[in-house]
Amino acid sequence: MTAAILDGLVLGLQFGLLGVGLTIVYGMGGVLNLAYGAMAVASAIVVSVAMRSGLPAVPAVALGILTGAALSLLLNVTIMRPVYRRRGDQRVLLSILLTIGVAFIINGYLVWKLPIEALSLSIGGDAISILGVPMRVGSLLASAITILAGVGLILFFRRTTAGKAVRSVIQDEVGARLCGINPASVRMLIFTLSGAIAGLVAVTRSMTSPVPVSEGFSLTILALLVTVVGGLGSVKGAMLAGLILGVVNALSSFYIGSYITTIVLLVAAALTILLRPSGLFGEYT
Amino acid sequence: MAVLELVELEKHFGGLPAVDGVTFGFNDGEILAIVGPNGAGKSTLLKTIIGIHPATSGTIRFSGTDITKMSTHRIRKAGIAMVLQTPRIFGSLTVRENVVIGAMFGNPKGVSESDAYEEADEMLAVVGLSSKADLAIDKLNLHEQRYVDLARAIAGRPKLLLLDEVMAGLNDTETASSIELIRRLRDRHGVTVIWVEHVMKAVLSLAERIAVLDFGRLLTSGDPQVVMRDPKVVKAYLGGKALPDA
Amino acid sequence: MVPYVAVAITAVILSLVPLWIGDSRTLTGVAVSGLLFACYATAFNLIFGSTDQLFLAVGALAGVGAYTSAITSDRLSLPLPLTIILGMIVAMIISGLFSWIAVRRSLGIIFTGIVTLTFSLAFDNLLLGQRSLTGGETGMVIDAGKGAFFRGQIPPYYVFLTLLIGFLLAYVAIHRSRMGWAFRALRDDQLSAELSGVNVAKYRIYAGAIGGAMLGLSGALWAHVEGFISPATFTFVHVDVQVLVMLVFGGIGTLLGPVVGSAFFTYLGEVLASFSQLRLIVEGVLLIVLFLALPQGVVGAIVIGITRLRERRKGLP
Ligand SMILES: Nc1ncnc2c1ncn2[C@@H]1O[C@H](COP(=O)(O)OP(=O)(O)OP(=O)(O)O)[C@@H](O)[C@H]1O
Ligand SMILES: [Mg+2]
Repeated sequence: MTAAILDGLVLGLQFGLLGVGLTIVYGMGGVLNLAYGAMAVASAIVVSVAMRSGLPAVPAVALGILTGAALSLLLNVTIMRPVYRRRGDQRVLLSILLTIGVAFIINGYLVWKLPIEALSLSIGGDAISILGVPMRVGSLLASAITILAGVGLILFFRRTTAGKAVRSVIQDEVGARLCGINPASVRMLIFTLSGAIAGLVAVTRSMTSPVPVSEGFSLTILALLVTVVGGLGSVKGAMLAGLILGVVNALSSFYIGSYITTIVLLVAAALTILLRPSGLFGEYT
Repeated sequence: MAVLELVELEKHFGGLPAVDGVTFGFNDGEILAIVGPNGAGKSTLLKTIIGIHPATSGTIRFSGTDITKMSTHRIRKAGIAMVLQTPRIFGSLTVRENVVIGAMFGNPKGVSESDAYEEADEMLAVVGLSSKADLAIDKLNLHEQRYVDLARAIAGRPKLLLLDEVMAGLNDTETASSIELIRRLRDRHGVTVIWVEHVMKAVLSLAERIAVLDFGRLLTSGDPQVVMRDPKVVKAYLGGKALPDA
Repeated sequence: MVPYVAVAITAVILSLVPLWIGDSRTLTGVAVSGLLFACYATAFNLIFGSTDQLFLAVGALAGVGAYTSAITSDRLSLPLPLTIILGMIVAMIISGLFSWIAVRRSLGIIFTGIVTLTFSLAFDNLLLGQRSLTGGETGMVIDAGKGAFFRGQIPPYYVFLTLLIGFLLAYVAIHRSRMGWAFRALRDDQLSAELSGVNVAKYRIYAGAIGGAMLGLSGALWAHVEGFISPATFTFVHVDVQVLVMLVFGGIGTLLGPVVGSAFFTYLGEVLASFSQLRLIVEGVLLIVLFLALPQGVVGAIVIGITRLRERRKGLP
């Protein structure tokens, strides 16, 4: 039981951060980026290829995260432009369709050029006992990084000028404009950050299980579920939803096992959406 | 006889009352204007009557039937139609098709397509837009768009018409034509008109009764000339200054 | 009259396709699957195109029809036509339920999309998990009624062509009826539609139920015509993403958009088949470029073009 919960928390932290990267983009401009998972995978594959060609782990990881950020930035300055010219449902819809196209391109390219590549960062060392449960060093490191990143993000939004600018744009775009904040540059910042988060999650995830080329789509869906359960646009909500879904996942696979686990997870997500359409936390940060 | 009765009607938004305990009876066949300062709750009152906003508490009775919990489309079929403050017309349809929708669905009896077309043409004639029936909506000016909206509302022959600031932004000729049209609708077709308006000149020349709303409450009601000289009203309306048109 | 003529021309063109592809079994298979996707896209067009409900469970609803029909005919030995009708009804009920939930909870486009997406994923897992009933990922071979109904008697191509033409005729009939007026009104402006007396909730549920029935029927027929189904046949990635892309390409809310879109992507897939890895990339690029260039889709753009031309001609003395 304790072991299952701990496993669930490790997984949940990854889910949560994954959701954060998607949710900030939605909170910012009401768009969904369905190429999100593909960008995470692209980052992971860059790390893997870099390491195979002899680059040490840390710079390789940095390169991977930069790749995520760069891809996302590129997305923002190219096809997101026409998207922002639309409003409401039209805007979301166009963002969905265009980013599906981007996901196709990234996936297609990776599957074409590197069909069997996968990132799997194995962290050595003896298992460390936590609450009497032996935990792998990889899991602990991944969790530590995720927690640091999560706390860092929340501090960023609360404490820094840039973070406050982001929040002000979310609350009142017109008002923020009047205060001299340019929503377009804030969007650029958020998009880049989102890509970096995707890259980071791909890296931490690969410390506990391999991230293959084909993973992009499931990562997007997972991020989407976490985001929606947590409340579209809410960073705290995404973190918490990630943890809850992670624990639900671990517990149900521990007690019920097999395929029912995924169904429990999905039903939990669907029920949250139906019972609380604004998510567990319907506000930002 | 009251065609529409409101009893202790309340509508709150997030705990704040926009309509705050209104009890009032609207007479059959009258033209009644609701006036009041911005944010008084006039639009909210109309939207609550027609079911766009569910009432927080209180009762709405139309021709004796309780319609408080009915959905908008049922209220429309029961005989109340509304023209919104900003005209919202089906942009992808022609003028005639817009009115056909009202004729087809706004009637409690099922209306066939050909009957709906006939009725639509009749309604377009009433508002004087027959010559523009086949045009796309975006070829019309604001005044004409309001008339399309109005034609769509009167198709299906509602007993009660709720109008929200239908004279805002019109020039003098257009305003005069609107006044004439509303009066004609009542005289020829017998509709009761509840009409929210800021344009005082129009109110005083058309309304037979006035109700004044302030902070969601009914301040007073009665004969236009009398009500508009009531110090209470003058104070609520313009913070003590005299009314410009009255 | 114009829409019926368009359907008739489509029927003629599509019935000539077998002459063009000849005896090739692979090509015939591709063409049949193209027709199946055109059926899916037409059903999806009714749900999404006509009433703005983004159902990301096209594959799953077809799967519901297919598995219901396959299991009831294989395991319970019910008569084949009955099982097909059963599959259609079950899919119709589930789909109608989606609409009902979406309407009751006033879910917007995104939330409707996500709730139906979770259903798709859960359904896929259920198929994989219930091995004893569905055969899991290896799929199931459907023996019941072999040769008795379609297989071997009517070529599969014509079964699905008939189905598609039936769907298109239904689409036209619906849009020319009272329901069509309601769809046009509620898509344009939901509030104005309600104010005009249109029961928006009711018509959304109708669209969901009818579209669901179409999907269930397509899936059930597919199961019996192919004689084999597996979860992969109905996954979100294989069906929903494709159908969305096809519909958007052809033109959301147009009669022939689904047909043009599925024909185009089926043809493209065939052209790119020899270098299949490129297919995804090309599709992605096309999607982005076409979407930015022709937001109303190919058929949508043509319709707009013709209308403009007519107006201009009318404008001349
Ligand atoms: N949908 C809504 N949600 C929250 N508050 C609302 C909503 N609609 C109106 N209100 C509030 O209710 C109050 C009454 O608004 P309403 O639009 O009814 O005023 P009004 O008398 O029509 O004003 P105006 O003359 O400017 O049209 C206002 O304080 C407004 O902010
Ligand atoms: Mg108002």
